[in-house]
Amino acid sequence: MATTTKQSSNLLKLIILALLGTISMMLMFLNFPLPMLPQYLKVDFSEVPALIASLIFSPGAGIIVEAVKNLLYLIYTGAGDPIGIASNFLAGVLFVVPVSMLYHKFKGVKSLVSGLVTGTVVMAVGMGLLNYFVLLPAYSMFMGWESMSDQVKLVTVTGGILPFNVIKGIVIGALFVPLFIKLKPWLEKKRMAAS
Amino acid sequence: MNNAFIIGQYVPGESIVHRLDPRTKMIIIFLFVIVVFFANSVWSYGLLTVFSLLCALTTRIHFSYILKGLTPVWFLIVFTLLLHLIVTKEGDVLFRVFSYPIYSGAVAQGAAISLRFFLLIMVTSLLTLTTTPIEITDAIESLLQPLKKVKFPVHELALMMSISLRFIPTLMQETEKISKAQASRGVDFRTGTAKERIQAVVPLLVPLFISAFKRAEELAMAMEARGYQGGEGRTKLRELKTGRLDISVYALFAVVVILLFIIRD
Repeated sequence: MATTTKQSSNLLKLIILALLGTISMMLMFLNFPLPMLPQYLKVDFSEVPALIASLIFSPGAGIIVEAVKNLLYLIYTGAGDPIGIASNFLAGVLFVVPVSMLYHKFKGVKSLVSGLVTGTVVMAVGMGLLNYFVLLPAYSMFMGWESMSDQVKLVTVTGGILPFNVIKGIVIGALFVPLFIKLKPWLEKKRMAAS
Repeated sequence: MNNAFIIGQYVPGESIVHRLDPRTKMIIIFLFVIVVFFANSVWSYGLLTVFSLLCALTTRIHFSYILKGLTPVWFLIVFTLLLHLIVTKEGDVLFRVFSYPIYSGAVAQGAAISLRFFLLIMVTSLLTLTTTPIEITDAIESLLQPLKKVKFPVHELALMMSISLRFIPTLMQETEKISKAQASRGVDFRTGTAKERIQAVVPLLVPLFISAFKRAEELAMAMEARGYQGGEGRTKLRELKTGRLDISVYALFAVVVILLFIIRD
């Protein structure tokens, strides 16, 4: 694609991100709840296309894929759970951005693995804090629950949110590393074409 | 993945609500979500309930179908009600369940908040029931126009959303085809340990990503060849129009809001 103009490579990028967002949204419907954790915490592979986008282009591309995924989900399922959708978006961004930043700095499988570990930690801690200070209070306001006591919030965060996001990171990583090794030559080629 | 997911929740129809400008529906629903929080008495809740039920009736969609769409949130509604019955301790003791006192304030508050949540969910679900995803995207693009002033890429976002919506069925078929092809080669998606099942997804995703990129390249080429140059000067096949119907709906809603503020405590 050496002869394409800047404009068309922009259009191509836009379309690629849209299609990755579509795949991401499809994968979101293939979720499975984890045993031992509450029902609303579900693991799915919808972060994988966002990771691909962020490795080929930039962390921003990953954020766009996450946004497209959640907007599609919102349009399809209605606004019954706006805070859940917002949390999914925030968790996705917190996970994808560190992975892609580390990968673009050092490249290679090793930096990807350390990126995935960092991403998991950032996502788990970040979502823990966000839930404690913003999301859980927002939920209880939206649902008209008595505002949760700090103790209840702490139990929810350490007993539910933190382990859930760690497991989610590990499951996605377990899928993404072999996938990445298979796709690496192709990814490199696409990245050359994109830059 | 099932069929319902391909078409979304949209139920085709010719009712007044179907024919409304999608922007009207979105604006009214947005305002409704805010207004619901101002209801604080039996009468004000009654007014909003009547309004929501009227909206639901005019869609001509069978009421049981609308309720069926709410199944995922029934659990939350019931949970909220129970939580209030157990936690809230206001008013007189109404009755005792296994010697646990249930207060009148708890019943009132629990009922009000469950009703509020029910109304919120029902009215928002009317949007997805009566509006196609494409119409919603058009409406979002049009409502976000002011953001262009701050350089927010409104047109690009809308383009991405329409492409995504267009390709959902295509990519679903593709996924099915690939998973059948891989299953015929002996990949087992259904059994095995968690680790094996996770790794079975890899041979599904590799061809899916590569074909998505091919499709993207073809589509970009085709759009360029037809002279696509971004949002400037692009015309539309479906124009959104705010008609007399929309204005009367706004007027009706305004009356409901004014009434609400008169009768609330």
